[in-house]
Amino acid sequence: MDRLARAAVGVSAVLIAATLASLPAFAQTDFSGEWTRIQEEDSALNPAVGDWFGLPINDAARMRAETWDASSWTLPEWQCRPHGGAYFKREPAALTITKEVDPVTREVTAFHAEWLRQVRIPIYLDGRPHPSPNAAHNWLGFSTAEWVGDMLKITTTHLKESYIRRNGVPVSDKATLTEYWIRNGDYLTWITITHDPVYLTEPLVWSSGYRLNLQQQVPPYPCTVVSEVERPKGVVPHIPPGANKDIREFTSRLGVPENYVRDGAATMYPEYQLKLKQGGVAGALAASPPVPASVPASVPASPSKVAAAPADSRSAGDLDIVHVRGPIYMIVGAGGNVTASVGPDGVLIVDSGAAEMSDKVLAAIDRLQKELTKPTERRLGYGSENRSALQAERTTAPPPKPIRYIINTHIHPDHAGGNARIAAAGRTITGGNVAGNIRDAEVGAAVYAHENVLLRMADPKPGQAPLPFRALPTDTYHTEFYKFSQHFNGEGVQLIHLPAAHTDGDTLVWFRGSDVLATGDVFTTTSYPFIDLEGGGSIQGVIDALNRILDLAFPEFRTEGGTMIVPGHGRLSDSADVAYYRDMVTVIRDRIQSMIDKGMTLDQVKAARPTLDYDPRYGSTSGSWTTDMFVEAVYRSLKK
Amino acid sequence: MDESCISKPKSEISDWTAETQETSLRQKVQFAISDFGFEMQDSSNFKFPIRLIPRILSILTLMLCLGSPALLYSQARGNQPQRTGRAAAPIDLTGYWVSLVTNEWRWRMLTPQKGDYAVLPINDAARKAADAWDPAKDEASGNQCKGYGAAAILQIPGRLHITWENDTTLRMDIDAGSQTRRFHFGAVQPPNEEQGWQGFSTAQWQPARGQARERRDPALSASLGGTLKATTTRMRPGYLRKNGVPYSANAVVTEYFNRFSDAGVEYLNVTVIVEDPTYLTQPYVRSMQFRREPDGSKWNPTPCSAR
Repeated sequence: MDRLARAAVGVSAVLIAATLASLPAFAQTDFSGEWTRIQEEDSALNPAVGDWFGLPINDAARMRAETWDASSWTLPEWQCRPHGGAYFKREPAALTITKEVDPVTREVTAFHAEWLRQVRIPIYLDGRPHPSPNAAHNWLGFSTAEWVGDMLKITTTHLKESYIRRNGVPVSDKATLTEYWIRNGDYLTWITITHDPVYLTEPLVWSSGYRLNLQQQVPPYPCTVVSEVERPKGVVPHIPPGANKDIREFTSRLGVPENYVRDGAATMYPEYQLKLKQGGVAGALAASPPVPASVPASVPASPSKVAAAPADSRSAGDLDIVHVRGPIYMIVGAGGNVTASVGPDGVLIVDSGAAEMSDKVLAAIDRLQKELTKPTERRLGYGSENRSALQAERTTAPPPKPIRYIINTHIHPDHAGGNARIAAAGRTITGGNVAGNIRDAEVGAAVYAHENVLLRMADPKPGQAPLPFRALPTDTYHTEFYKFSQHFNGEGVQLIHLPAAHTDGDTLVWFRGSDVLATGDVFTTTSYPFIDLEGGGSIQGVIDALNRILDLAFPEFRTEGGTMIVPGHGRLSDSADVAYYRDMVTVIRDRIQSMIDKGMTLDQVKAARPTLDYDPRYGSTSGSWTTDMFVEAVYRSLKK
Repeated sequence: MDESCISKPKSEISDWTAETQETSLRQKVQFAISDFGFEMQDSSNFKFPIRLIPRILSILTLMLCLGSPALLYSQARGNQPQRTGRAAAPIDLTGYWVSLVTNEWRWRMLTPQKGDYAVLPINDAARKAADAWDPAKDEASGNQCKGYGAAAILQIPGRLHITWENDTTLRMDIDAGSQTRRFHFGAVQPPNEEQGWQGFSTAQWQPARGQARERRDPALSASLGGTLKATTTRMRPGYLRKNGVPYSANAVVTEYFNRFSDAGVEYLNVTVIVEDPTYLTQPYVRSMQFRREPDGSKWNPTPCSAR
C-alpha cells in the first residue's frame, strides 16, 4: 500500500505542478514565432496581366496597370525592391515575429515582423506618435499598435508607392493600413485594410493566413543589382495606352468579356455573379491554367479615413522641421523646402523660402541653433580634489553661430524670395590676403547660385520690379559643379549644375558627409514637375536631372534609405522616390512624344489625357501649376 | 488565499525572516500541516497514512479548481447558474454580412475548370475523385449543393444572416444556395448519423483575456470581445472547390469567427480549417472577410448551382 500511496503522492505532485504551470500568466497574446504562409492563390501563383478582379481600383490604377511592362522591374532601381507594406503579407515568404518587452512592466512594447527578402518592421505598442507627414517613407511604413481584446490592431503610415498585385496594379505613397493580428492556436490571421485615396475607390480588405512553424529560420537574402537588359540610359519600359494585348489573352482564357476587367470594386461583391451570368460566363469555364511561379517574387483608392496618430515633428509657427541626418534639417512650409546645415560652423541653408515667410524661417533656424547649443548635463565626474564642476554647471548657452551661407537652387521666389531678409540676418567671415577694407563684406550671409540665376535676377522681365541688391547672389559659378573650399559643419558641400531642367540655373546641393541631396524643383513629391520654359527649362532637362540624382544616390538596403533627398516641395525622400518620379515623367514624355509623332495638336493631346493614371497623385485643376499647364509645357518643350 | 498575506505582507516577511522566531514559525507550519492529519517524520521512515488519501485528493481537487483558467472565468461570475450561449456572447455576430471576394476570385466567383486543383493540399484519391466530376450527374442525383457544404460555403460569394434561434443556438442563413447552419452551445453531443450538407456544429465562446488592467476594470473587461469557435462534423460529403474537389464524411471543420472594425465599418473574419484524413494531406485553411450591412435589403436567396 505504501507504493500505492507514494504513487498517489507522485501523481498529485505532477498534477499540482501541471496546474501551477497552466495558471494564466495574464499575458497578452503572444504573436512571436516563426510563421509559414498558408498557400493560396496570391501566395502560390503569379497573376496574369489583366487580372484585376476583386480589387476596388479606379480608372487611374487600371491605366497604370494596363501600361505596366514587367520589364520595368529590370531597371537597376527596381531589381532589389521588396514588396510594399500593403502587399507583403500576400506573398509566400517566411515570417518571423519577435517581441520586445519592457524590463520594468514586462509588457510587450513592440513586435518586429520580418519576412524573407524584406526589411524588418517594428510595430510599436508603447504609445509613441507617428512621424511628421513630411518624414521619409519606406516600404513597410511606420506602424503603431494597440490591443483590442486579444487582437492586435495596427496602424501604418509612411508607406512608399508599391503595388497590390504583382501585375502592375499600384498603391500610392498616400496609402495607409489598418491591420489586425488574430491568433487561433497555431494559426495567425493577418487582416489588412488598405486605404488609398489615389488608386482605390473603397478600402481593400484582405486576410492572409500563417501557420506556426517550429523548424523555420528566415535565411539571409542579399540582393545584387546586375545589368539584366541592355538598353539606352534613361529608357523606362512601359506599354502605350490601349496597346496591351495580354489583357485580351487573359480574359479570353478566363471566358469573360475584355471590358469586365474595368469593373473595379463591383467585382468584389456577390451581385457580380449575375453580371457574369448575363455575360455568358456562367458554368464551368474555359481553361484557366495556373501560371507557373517564375516572375520575381518582389514586384503594387477611396479617401483615406485612417487618422494618423499625432505627428512627431517640431513645428515652428507654421513650419515643420524634419531632421534629415547629422547636421542637416529640412524646413517645410516656407514656400519651397529649406534645407539647413546647423552646427558649430554656423548655418548654411539651401534656398531661403518665400519672402513673406522669412521671419518664420529665421525663427526655425534660431530654434534649431538653440537646441543644439544647450549645455549638456554634467556626468558624474572625478578629480574634485583639484577643481569644481560648478562653473560648468552654472554656465549658460553660448549665442547661436551666424547664418553664413545661402545657396539658391534656382531663381523662383518661393525658393529665393527670402534672400534679402535672411542674408541680412547672417554674417560672412572675411579676412585674408587682401588689400583695403573688406569689412563691408561681413554684412550679411553670402548667397551662392549658378550664374544664370544672377543674370536673370539682375535682368528682370518687363513689368517686374528689380530685386534689391541684397537679394542677389553674391557668389556664382558657371562650371559643371562648384565645391566649397572647406568643410562646413564637418562635411564637404558640392553644388552641381543641372542644365536646362526646371530652369536654366538649377543647382543640386550635395552634402557629402551626411549623404543628403537638396534638389530644388527638379524633384518634388507634390506635383508634376514645373517646367519653366521661359526660364530656360525643358522636359528632357528634368529627366536628365532626375537620372543624375539617381546616379549620385545610394540606397542603404533594399532600395530604401541611404542617400536622403530633400525635394523642392513635399516630404523627405530617397532614391526610390526619385526613381518613381523619374519613371512617371519619362512615361508621360514618351506618350506625348508619340502623340506629337502622330501629328496630334496640343488640344488633341490634352483631350487624350496622357497623364490620367498619375493625375490623382500629382495632378491639379487649379492653382499655379495645373495638369493642363504641365502637359502643355511638355508638348511645347518637345516641339522645340 | 490568506488575506493576511495581502494586508500585512511586510509583517509576514519580517516574522518569517526573524532569526529569533524561527522555532515558533516551524511550530506554526507544523500545526498547519497537522491540521490536515500529517505528522512530521524522518524521511527514511516515511509511511504514508493511507487514510489520508481522500483528504489529499480533495485538497488537490480544490487547488486544481482554483488554478484552472477556465474556472477563473466562471469564478468571476460568482455562483450563478451557467449562462446560455446567447447570454455569454462576448461579441454580437447577428445581422447581415456580405462577403468581400478579394482573394481567389476566379475560384470563388467562377466555377473552375475540371482539373484546376492549384494550391489545394489534396491526395491522389481526391484528385481521382475530382477528375470524375460531372455536374450533370450531380444535378440528376439531386446533389447540386455539394459545393455548398459547411467546409466550403463561406467561400461562396453571398450574404450571411445571423440570428439567435434560441438561447443556445446561433443560426446562420446563407443566401447563396439557400443554406442554413446552426451552432449549438452548451454540453451537446453531435448525433451519430450524418446531418446534411452543413453537418452538426458545436460552438463555444472564447472570451478575450486582454490585458491586466482591462481585466481588473469590469467596464473595460466587458468590451474585450472574443472569438466564436465552432466545430462541425457529420457532414454529407461535398466539394471543397466547386469543380469536384471532394471532402469526405470524415472531415472536421473548425471555424473561428472574429469581429473587427475600421473607420466606422464593421467587419467579420472567419478562419476555416478543414481536416480530412480521407482526401487532404494537411489541413486546408482559408480566411474570409465579410462587411456588415445595415439591413437585409440585398438579401437574395438563390438555389444551389452545380455549375
